[in-house]
Amino acid sequence: MKTTLHLTMAAFVGVLALGFSTLATTPAASADGKELYREYCKGCHEEGSPNGEYTPMSLIQDQWTRFFDKKYTRTHKSVIDEKHGGKPVTETISPEDLELIREFSIEGAADSEHPMTCG
Amino acid sequence: MRIVMLTTLIILGFAASATEAANKNRHERFVKNYEGTQTCLKCHEEEAETFFHTQHYQWRGATPDLVNSGGQELGKLSMVNDFCTNPTGPQWIGKVKNADGKTLAKGCSSCHSGLGKPPAQEISREQLENMDCLICHASGYRRDLYATEDGGWEWKPILWKNQEGLNSVARRIQIPDRTMCLRCHSASGGGPNFKRGDIEYTLKDPPRSFDVHMASDGKDMTCVDCHEGEAHRVRGRGVDMAATDSPDAPLSCEGECHTATPHEITALDMHTDRVNCTACHIPTFARDEPTDMFRDWSNIYFSEEKGKYVYTAEFEQNVVPAYAWFNGKSRVQVPGVPVDRIESGAVAIVLPEGSKDDPAAKIHAFKVHRGKLPVLDDKQWLVPIATEEFYAHGDIDKAVREAAESFYGMDEIEYSWNDTIRYMGIFHEVVPREDALGCLDCHRPGGRMDWQALGYDGDPLEDKLRASR
Ligand code: HEC
Ligand code: HEC
Ligand code: HEC
Ligand code: HEC
Ligand code: HEC
Ligand code: HEC
Ligand code: HEC
Repeated sequence: MKTTLHLTMAAFVGVLALGFSTLATTPAASADGKELYREYCKGCHEEGSPNGEYTPMSLIQDQWTRFFDKKYTRTHKSVIDEKHGGKPVTETISPEDLELIREFSIEGAADSEHPMTCG
Repeated sequence: MRIVMLTTLIILGFAASATEAANKNRHERFVKNYEGTQTCLKCHEEEAETFFHTQHYQWRGATPDLVNSGGQELGKLSMVNDFCTNPTGPQWIGKVKNADGKTLAKGCSSCHSGLGKPPAQEISREQLENMDCLICHASGYRRDLYATEDGGWEWKPILWKNQEGLNSVARRIQIPDRTMCLRCHSASGGGPNFKRGDIEYTLKDPPRSFDVHMASDGKDMTCVDCHEGEAHRVRGRGVDMAATDSPDAPLSCEGECHTATPHEITALDMHTDRVNCTACHIPTFARDEPTDMFRDWSNIYFSEEKGKYVYTAEFEQNVVPAYAWFNGKSRVQVPGVPVDRIESGAVAIVLPEGSKDDPAAKIHAFKVHRGKLPVLDDKQWLVPIATEEFYAHGDIDKAVREAAESFYGMDEIEYSWNDTIRYMGIFHEVVPREDALGCLDCHRPGGRMDWQALGYDGDPLEDKLRASR
């Protein structure tokens, strides 16, 4: 029992350390992610769009994860992106850029925590 | 790398506290479809009724710790303060936009734990359904201001169009952790750490060097660990809050947690009779985010960066507290009576009571906030400002007149700008023992204690040394 506890503690410390190191790198990534989201997603998902309005705040983190893991290819592989050369959305966005968009969406999801401010 | 992380995450997942998991699971079952507060009321009517009577909901309450309230119930709703002045009237709720359509303000109710209706004194179904349980009890909850069909405004979960997501959040029910309390408390006064100075968003996840109590790698205490009271009433008023929610259970370092003589060093213990723990253990505040130390509502300008008219403010970081006597009671500026002034002429918004000759008083650490507010020329009453609309039109005179009208019902006023001063207790951001103040921080020429102002002839240590020579 004791050993398990210690192992878990060690793992916990490990996660903390890793957690901090990924945290430290995200701000730069999310800045790019924001730009990329605006470039590749926003045009089709603005307020009032027939495709549905989507900003990171439209979905919770679990829903974004499910979207990128399971739904993105299916729902966007035959949607043509006229703004970027008339290819399907899935062929327009590189895997690296998509990863940054994914991080940005999850980070700003509807259930991410932020303090409230006036105005 | 990825794989290692995943495995550790999985192990961690299993190790998560069993009670927490049990509670979360319970509301998985309890909350089938979240339809607003009424969903919670089905099972928690009793707790909702207790919450209705708290200062957190009423923004008003009994004032046993004020020496000049005359027994009135007072609170945020009835007071005029030197930050956002007063939340009633048009500034309670509503979007104010600039010419570019940018939202400049949403109203003071953004920090009320209700869904938009002002609190009423009589309990009713409408009032119970107006309470926002999720703001304190659901992790991952966020709300925003939306127009209602009848032309009014309400606070709603940002997920209102996404029922699946909303249900998921409404099932994440728990006793509040730091994050939830900080949603309001870390941004009071208009922005990050503007108001208090010692309640910053950093406290969500602070290192031990920042706060020994709340450190994630230390005691990891929640706000509720110290502030939990009976029946939704929090303990602890501090110095500048008008009302006291739990008069029978005052909160202080001494008592349940520490004794009055907690040190191995006698030279330290002999101080605790007259020097409050905070004076030595919180050497500075606003250590991450600068805090508003001076707010001048008479001196306004257009901020290109914010796209709005603003007051002039001075911010400071890593601020050395001021030190003054405090015996647990305060004197506040009550609206509708002539203002009290200190020697410098500044209107005293809040002053701590106590002096060296008062055996109940101890020297405490304070943030001293200065400001400039309008005072009626004839009656000498403090006047609030219709701050929210002001951000768009920039006419401060109009904003003062509007507030005089809505707050006092006066349409013709003459007023002048007055300096104000307010003492606010510093109680958070306790540093590790090695960073506590040393003897010479106070006992040397030019040290932190202004001995004369505190009522001493000079440094008592020097007197003692002289006497023993
Ligand atoms: C060229 C237009 C276009 C672009 C670019 C585009 N989408 Fe879509 N998106 C659509 C259409 C069309 C649908 C499907 C609507 C439907 O089936 O009802 C959709 C559906 C979605 C959905 C809902 C999926 C579901 O059924 O749950 C999400 C979320 C979404 N898009 C996000 C994104 C993101 C993120 C990006 C950028 C990486 C993006 N979209 C780029 C057109 C676009
Ligand atoms: C179907 C009934 C039901 C509904 C609906 C319900 N709860 Fe509960 N809740 C309970 C029960 C039962 C407990 C456990 C009480 C106990 O353990 O003493 C509980 C416990 C709690 C606790 C204490 C949690 C803890 O960890 O101690 C909070 C806070 C709470 N509920 C808030 C809410 C909120 C907010 C809602 C609305 C989103 C809600 N509940 C909806 C039945 C319900
Ligand atoms: C919705 C915003 C909001 C949330 C969330 C919130 N507070 Fe408050 N809190 C306030 C406001 C506003 C006041 C001042 C009330 C007044 O002056 O009448 C206040 C006052 C207080 C006070 C002073 C004593 C009193 O009763 O007024 C304490 C202590 C306090 N809050 C602690 C907490 C704790 C602990 C939490 C988390 C469980 C919390 N607050 C969550 C807005 C909030
Ligand atoms: C300002 C923050 C705040 C708001 C808003 C709030 N609560 Fe609480 N609640 C707390 C705190 C803090 C506790 C911890 C114990 C206490 O103070 O009673 C608590 C405890 C509880 C408990 C557990 C009671 C117990 O005896 O263990 C329940 C149930 C609960 N709240 C339900 C609700 C419901 C329902 C609402 C909405 C009508 C609500 N709360 C609104 C802060 C809040
Ligand atoms: C280690 C105990 C402790 C913890 C943890 C703690 N507080 Fe406090 N807090 C105090 C004490 C002591 C006071 C002063 C009480 C008094 O004199 O009435 C206080 C006062 C306050 C006040 C009254 C206004 C003032 O003078 O500052 C608020 C609001 C408050 N705390 C909010 C919070 C919030 C929010 C958290 C969590 C981020 C928190 N506190 C965590 C001990 C604590
Ligand atoms: C005159 C300044 C001063 C006052 C007043 C003071 N402390 Fe301390 N305290 C210190 C210093 C300096 C240390 C570090 C001692 C050391 O390094 O051994 C310390 C250490 C501590 C420790 C760590 C345990 C220890 O013995 O080292 C605790 C806990 C503590 N103080 C609590 C309190 C509490 C509670 C109060 C109020 C009742 C208080 N202190 C009042 C200066 C003070
Ligand atoms: C926060 C500032 C502060 C710190 C730090 C501090 N003192 Fe003091 N000290 C005071 C005050 C205030 C008094 C007067 C207390 C009183 O009126 O009884 C005092 C009084 C004294 C006295 C005179 C007591 C008497 O009987 O007249 C001595 C001796 C003394 N301090 C020594 C020390 C030593 C030694 C340390 C370091 C271990 C220390 N002080 C740290 C503020 C401080």
